[in-house]
Amino acid sequence: MADPWQGAMDHAVAVARKAGEIIRDALQNDMKIMCKSSSVDLVTKTDQQVEQFIFDSVREKFPTHSFIGEESVAAGQPCTLTDNPTWIIDPVDGTTNFVHGFPFVAVSIGFAVKKELEFGVVYSSLEDKMYTGRRGKGAYCNGLPLQVSDQTDISQCIVNSEMGSNRDPEVVDRIFSTMRKILCIPVHGLRGVGTAAVNMGLVASGAVEAYFEIGIHCWDIAAGAVIVTEAGGVVMDVDGGPFDLMSRRVLAANNKTIATRIVKEIDAFPAERDDAPKQEKQ
Amino acid sequence: MTSMESDKCWQECMDVAVQIARSAGQVVREAVKQEKRVSTKSTPADLVTEADHQVEELIISTLRERFPSHRFIGEESSAAGEKCILTDSPTWIIDPIDGTCNFVHSFPMVAVSIGFAVKKELEFGVIYHCFEETLYTARKGQGAFCNGLRLQVSKEKDVSKALILTEIGAKRDPKTLKIFSGNIEKLLSAPAHGVRIIGSSTLALCQVATGAADAYYQYGLHCWDIAAAAVIIREAGGVVIDTSGGPLDLMSRRVVAAGSQEIASYIVQQLQPISYERDDNGHSTQ
Repeated sequence: MADPWQGAMDHAVAVARKAGEIIRDALQNDMKIMCKSSSVDLVTKTDQQVEQFIFDSVREKFPTHSFIGEESVAAGQPCTLTDNPTWIIDPVDGTTNFVHGFPFVAVSIGFAVKKELEFGVVYSSLEDKMYTGRRGKGAYCNGLPLQVSDQTDISQCIVNSEMGSNRDPEVVDRIFSTMRKILCIPVHGLRGVGTAAVNMGLVASGAVEAYFEIGIHCWDIAAGAVIVTEAGGVVMDVDGGPFDLMSRRVLAANNKTIATRIVKEIDAFPAERDDAPKQEKQ
Repeated sequence: MTSMESDKCWQECMDVAVQIARSAGQVVREAVKQEKRVSTKSTPADLVTEADHQVEELIISTLRERFPSHRFIGEESSAAGEKCILTDSPTWIIDPIDGTCNFVHSFPMVAVSIGFAVKKELEFGVIYHCFEETLYTARKGQGAFCNGLRLQVSKEKDVSKALILTEIGAKRDPKTLKIFSGNIEKLLSAPAHGVRIIGSSTLALCQVATGAADAYYQYGLHCWDIAAAAVIIREAGGVVIDTSGGPLDLMSRRVVAAGSQEIASYIVQQLQPISYERDDNGHSTQ
């Protein structure tokens, strides 16, 4: 039986590649920076341009589909996942990196139907690495199959995480106490390249064993979740429960043994769900 | 040797360094696909592989044949007991595989780093990103380059717009980690744009040279991690100093590098030190 979503996935790859070009071109020119929720949560004209480009291109081909995009949600669109085929898009994941020219900037396109993730495309545009994953059909990077690490000993693992954009001292405290606990296990090392999507690509490729973060959004992880799972890994909540796309929390790992070991060290903090009803803006 | 003669000679050395770095990079690319025999050095987080030894042997034997009167400071020879003392002699300062932990995991951020000093002054630096096949070079007084393109550091002076890189270092005891994370927390509360850890100090230092990062600081790195990058960053217009704010002390196991003096000074003020044994075991030549 033909794959009903193959056409959508092929389109996602093509549009991600083109979006990556826009990002590379923009890096040559002056970027206008605006601020979102705080002076460290950045957005640029390129974020908005790229998202508009992706929306227009996808809407033309798939006019009945729904969209959840980082910049549209910031502009007031709802962030609710229905049964309808839905594109979940981060046009520029790693905006801070982009602003600095730090070489990890990704276009992330996830796709869900009946609330189930069907495929994911992450294009690390400065590395020219196209990560893809189709439910039941494996994960690939630039055409080569991806396979998670087979490591089961936590002391031989590299774990990725980020410090995020929340500068609330209590949150920062929890982030660092978790970091210290993990380093004390001990693990081989802790890394963070500055984009959730690429961090998940690194788990899928076997370069690191795990990635976790609290505070990311559904558009940062939707695509990566499929890619990691299809590379043989696991994706769950930071408390060890099932993965919840809208929860603002994720733990992706090469296997359950490593994942559950890391769960023990995570000092969680609250983060408002992506699908929480919108408050009146102050 | 006249000044002109020595200039010509060091240029010749640099050309050889570039060639050997590329060859070594090729060896690393092959070795990453093979099974790796991994041991630990000072702590369980301080890894070494057969490839580290092989690549260092390749580099040193090639250079020794070509320049028999020169001296060598290499990571693995030092581990084997060779003295790590910088004299006035022309001295090659080599990290055969920077990012060994990344190498072990096939995380493709791994570099060959070759620095060169004469009369204890750093003359040139060559860093080769083995997987991107990117070559960073700088000759004192002649600028810094990446694959032939001229490098310029970021001129950002405001730490609240800065992207800062660091590495953890080999010590993993709770007391050290508290200081390590405390240092990052202070910088994040500046509030800096962000802090990143990529697992290779030389490649992170190169990001300062390209302007992609505004600063780098670390406790625990070695002279062979700094020697080449210091020239590259300075020739790209940046500053490389000691964590105390004084001049760089190559053997001190610590560094602050930045595009601007302002950001370097800010970082110096925030840092609480973590001490590591000097590379020259206290035989300071300063």
